[in-house]
Amino acid sequence: MSKPASLSLDQAPPIGVPLRFFLTAPLFALTAALLLLWQGPDLFGSRWNPALLGFTHLLTLGFIGLTMLGAILQMLPVVASAPVRRPVLIATVVHALGTGGIILLSYGLIFTAPLALQIALPALGTAFLLFSVLIVITLRRAPPKNMTARAMRLAALMLAATVLLGLILLSNHAFGWWLHTREMLTNLHLTWGLLGWVGILVVGVAYQVVPMFQLTPAYPAKLTRWLTALLFILLLGLAPASHCPALRIALNAMLAAGFASFSLATLWLQSQRRRKLPDVTLNFWRGGMISLLSAISLWLVAQLIPAWGLTQSYGLLLGTLMIVGFAMSVINGMLYKIAPFLVWFHLQSRRGAHGPKVPNVRELLPESRTRRQMWLHFFALGALLAAVLSPSTFTYPAALLFGASNLWLWANLVSVSRTYRKVNALLGQTTASAG
Amino acid sequence: MPERILDARWLEPPEPMELTLAAIEDLEPGERLRLLIHRTPHMLFPILKEWGFGYQTHTLDDGTFEIFIWRKEQAAAGDPGSS
Repeated sequence: MSKPASLSLDQAPPIGVPLRFFLTAPLFALTAALLLLWQGPDLFGSRWNPALLGFTHLLTLGFIGLTMLGAILQMLPVVASAPVRRPVLIATVVHALGTGGIILLSYGLIFTAPLALQIALPALGTAFLLFSVLIVITLRRAPPKNMTARAMRLAALMLAATVLLGLILLSNHAFGWWLHTREMLTNLHLTWGLLGWVGILVVGVAYQVVPMFQLTPAYPAKLTRWLTALLFILLLGLAPASHCPALRIALNAMLAAGFASFSLATLWLQSQRRRKLPDVTLNFWRGGMISLLSAISLWLVAQLIPAWGLTQSYGLLLGTLMIVGFAMSVINGMLYKIAPFLVWFHLQSRRGAHGPKVPNVRELLPESRTRRQMWLHFFALGALLAAVLSPSTFTYPAALLFGASNLWLWANLVSVSRTYRKVNALLGQTTASAG
Repeated sequence: MPERILDARWLEPPEPMELTLAAIEDLEPGERLRLLIHRTPHMLFPILKEWGFGYQTHTLDDGTFEIFIWRKEQAAAGDPGSS
């Protein structure tokens, strides 16, 4: 029997809950890379190209969405100071519907298969709406002054809004009817998804994990108290501002200022850290913050040169910087802290006071392997940005680099999970022979 | 009471916990560990309880947490959860 023997384990969900999300996510990014390799330079032809929509959702739902769901299921008990009820059941349902839905959605978009989209619609709707409701309900128990809990709740509301808009847009593709306001709803969908759900969540989680893992001073209290609520209100305001360009520009400018202050604060805190040892996760975050600042600068340029802001490459560059540069960098870096930490913690709790030694986090995932993958990721980002500007030259190198980076990330996570299984089995034998 | 000192300030998680668990393993009864750490080690406390150790936390003027850890008498040798 592998009944958990420790009190500390009762607080945390079983390790399989977050790990199944972490192990699936890189495979979606790998699939996106293969899609790029197959479609070639044509993929970047138009923002509305259905194959490009499939590519984008393999990354946003498949990679970003799944890792965030897994990480939140792990973090909720800590943030809310109470365990989530039936974590295995929730993880199984959300993971199965989520992965199934993402596969059907991208297949349906790439191959223009309405039936696949019609099945994807309820699957994705159920998985992601169920999850956002779960976050909001669980966090009612969180201490009111916990700024990470507040950010998570706001991010979950943004997730629900993003999903609802996504479902409307998806029904267009699935049932072949077209809304007049499709472009406006699409812009709102991607802004709420990337800046609301992903952006607010990263900001709120950073309040905890940047000082904890990167040994920096804490974020300024004024920033942590106001920033996420302000971002949320500004993002909500974008809906009525859709028909009023002046208001929209004002809201966008304040959003840009809010995210710029977050990324500059993070870079500044990192420069103030106690022990300036090289660290892969820190560099992933640094790359993420620089990408965020680059996206903001790009937006500023487009305000000054409106004609350029209307070009195809502007939107694609912005998307690449936000999705691959900002979100994927931060997530990739955090996976290298979370996965070995969880494995070590579960093994340590299982071993008891007198069990055999368990490998430490450095032995579980040596830095030499993560550092090389990080460089591959940043080269892939550079190549993807270059491919937007010059598809014929850079598309294939970008696809190969991006695929290799995600394959390597997956292999690194698989090796951590394998060690867990091996050592856990060993601990089981020791406990059995001792008893 | 004889004392051992472990300064785990500004070490990256979970190194403070790794070092603490290694240090208390060969703690004699009557001996205590003085752990210095830069933040409250929330995840350590349930493990200490379960392994049969007592602890007491103080905050020093510079914000450091000072945690005394000792082996309780009649500490369970095996797995307390399974009995």
